[in-house]
Amino acid sequence: MTGIDHPCSFHDMPVLTLPEPGDERPLPPADATAWRLDCGWDGLDFAAVWKHFLETVDPARVRALVIGHWWHGNYSSLAPVVELIASDAARFPALRALFLADVVSEECEVSWLQMCDITPVLRAFPLLEELVVRGGGSGLSEETLELHPVRHEALKTLRFESGGLPGRVVRAIGASELPALERLELWFGSQWYGGDATVADMAPLLSGGGLPRLRHLGLQNSEIQDEIAVAVASAPVVAQLEFLALSMGTLSDAGGLALLEGQPLTHLSGLDLHHHYLGDEVMERFRELSERDDVHVDLAEADDWDPEDEDDSRYVAVSE
Amino acid sequence: MSPSASNGPPRLAVVGNPGSRRVSLFQDAVAAAGLPEARTVPWVDVLRGGGVRFLAGETVRIESPGEHAEVDRLLRGADEPTRVEGSALWYARFTAAVREVARAAREAGAHLLDAPADIAVLFDKRLCHGVLDAAGVPVPASPTSGPAGAPVRGWDDVRDLMAAHRTPRVFVKPAHGSSASGVLAVETAGGGRIRAATSVERDPAGRLYNSLRVRRCTTEREIAAVVDALAPDGLHIERWLPKATRRGRAADLRVVVVAGRATHAVVRTSASPMTNLHLGGARGDLAEVRAAVEAAGGSWGEALAICERAAAAFPDTLCVGVDLLPLAGWRRFAVGEVNAFGDLLPRLTGLPGSGAEGLDTYAAQVAAVLERARNDRVSTTP
Repeated sequence: MTGIDHPCSFHDMPVLTLPEPGDERPLPPADATAWRLDCGWDGLDFAAVWKHFLETVDPARVRALVIGHWWHGNYSSLAPVVELIASDAARFPALRALFLADVVSEECEVSWLQMCDITPVLRAFPLLEELVVRGGGSGLSEETLELHPVRHEALKTLRFESGGLPGRVVRAIGASELPALERLELWFGSQWYGGDATVADMAPLLSGGGLPRLRHLGLQNSEIQDEIAVAVASAPVVAQLEFLALSMGTLSDAGGLALLEGQPLTHLSGLDLHHHYLGDEVMERFRELSERDDVHVDLAEADDWDPEDEDDSRYVAVSE
Repeated sequence: MSPSASNGPPRLAVVGNPGSRRVSLFQDAVAAAGLPEARTVPWVDVLRGGGVRFLAGETVRIESPGEHAEVDRLLRGADEPTRVEGSALWYARFTAAVREVARAAREAGAHLLDAPADIAVLFDKRLCHGVLDAAGVPVPASPTSGPAGAPVRGWDDVRDLMAAHRTPRVFVKPAHGSSASGVLAVETAGGGRIRAATSVERDPAGRLYNSLRVRRCTTEREIAAVVDALAPDGLHIERWLPKATRRGRAADLRVVVVAGRATHAVVRTSASPMTNLHLGGARGDLAEVRAAVEAAGGSWGEALAICERAAAAFPDTLCVGVDLLPLAGWRRFAVGEVNAFGDLLPRLTGLPGSGAEGLDTYAAQVAAVLERARNDRVSTTP
């Protein structure tokens, strides 16, 4: 993932937005599709879409669910949606993947999404294997993303796509027990939009102690990308990884050099640094790493990168 | 009986800026059809009041007056082509000039391909919205639609209309603007949050200029200053409907309709709310859009039919360019704008099945003129 977009597939299945009532198209099998629910710009309210979904598709066979645009008129909180999904959990014994807030900026800016405590879905679906959450803390709104520490035995993939991921949420992830987690991606975003996580908040993740199966770690889209890179350069978790992403943030030579001169990265199959602010020399050293040790390094520069820029203005890929 | 019903091919004239891309592309199409060169009537002559003359039986195309410094100065009464303000004066002078062209054509017994009344509506987004809405064409909801629309005297009116119509996201457009000039995409939310995207730059003296960059305004004060400066020229407000996206970019379509048929279409995509190519928009893949529409259960035929219905609201105008917005989900559509001079799409050939395969937009129009002339001859032959 490189930015905010509607996924075409989710949990290895094509995403299909549930047709509106009255649309007579034949539907694919319930267990071969990631079902996307969307209130559209003028459609039913979410409760009515949910009811239509339960009447149209056999919930017992649904394996993946994507929640799109859920408000009607003015933006509203995701909380009633989370509540509804959690309270109907017993009807979804096969649900393994959930995407909350698949919304793009044409519908609502990611920083304006009125998020809520998403812990109830983790508690209600102990067999969930994949959870993606878009949105974060706006810094202005009461409705902000929350997570309480949980123990979840099944979760393998967890991604927060945020323009401002609250430090509280990062600490809650660190304090959770996720023994099955293989892939963790956190987009930290901008302080202005509530992304106030510090490297200290990430400490439990960097130690790797509580995440024995973690193989893919993304600490991305950060304004403190250099600090993160410095911490990663000596972080115990790196030895167990196959893939490391420090992309989408403000990574510059300071962080790049720390990585190159820190612990070996040669065991990685991939190192994603796209959207970076590295100079030519440091990029050349990453290319050497790539060629010598067969580590695929994504070195696509930030679009706005201007090495001549004296203001040194660097931006994360996703913020507002 | 039509004046063009005389024997032989129609004699063409074009009111435009000689040597401009548009006039050259039209002349190329005229030559390719084996017709004698169209007589060019320069806008600069029309605007200087030098007495415009047409010939009896001539078929007259009205072209855009754009991209000509002297013509622009005469229409705007100013020397700053990137200046945003002044579109009301431009509109008054341009529509007066078109009426003068029509009067001269009528006197000479020449036939216009573009009706002055249509042009007057097409260059007023409020009137255009009203006409489309009345014709049953899907358009974004607007409080300023038609002659009875709400007046917008400044930012306070915009804010009040947004609140009254429960519309937290709107486009604010100068009524007589073109090419996204002066357009703001405004979004609001609880807690007094507000944000606008616009290509307008405001200088320290408060004057507005078009830039080639879409920037964000994040304070109400800044947005109000821009809107207040735009308001005297007339403003149109429309609900900002979420456009369909592909790979993180919003898409819309420019569909050219010639003589009632949708003949040409291009996709424009952008990461910002404006898809104009000069503002960082890019050409998209039409086949991909069509596939997305059909995969979502939408109808591509219906999309084109909407454009044809929009064009049918201007029956006395040979060709218009319709901006069609595929809405989030790719199943529904709305018409954003209809452009009188929306056919500048060099080298683009016609849609399969449109009758304009292998023809560019200009050649398709020349073919339509020839077709009409043939039909006129047939219908007037006993």
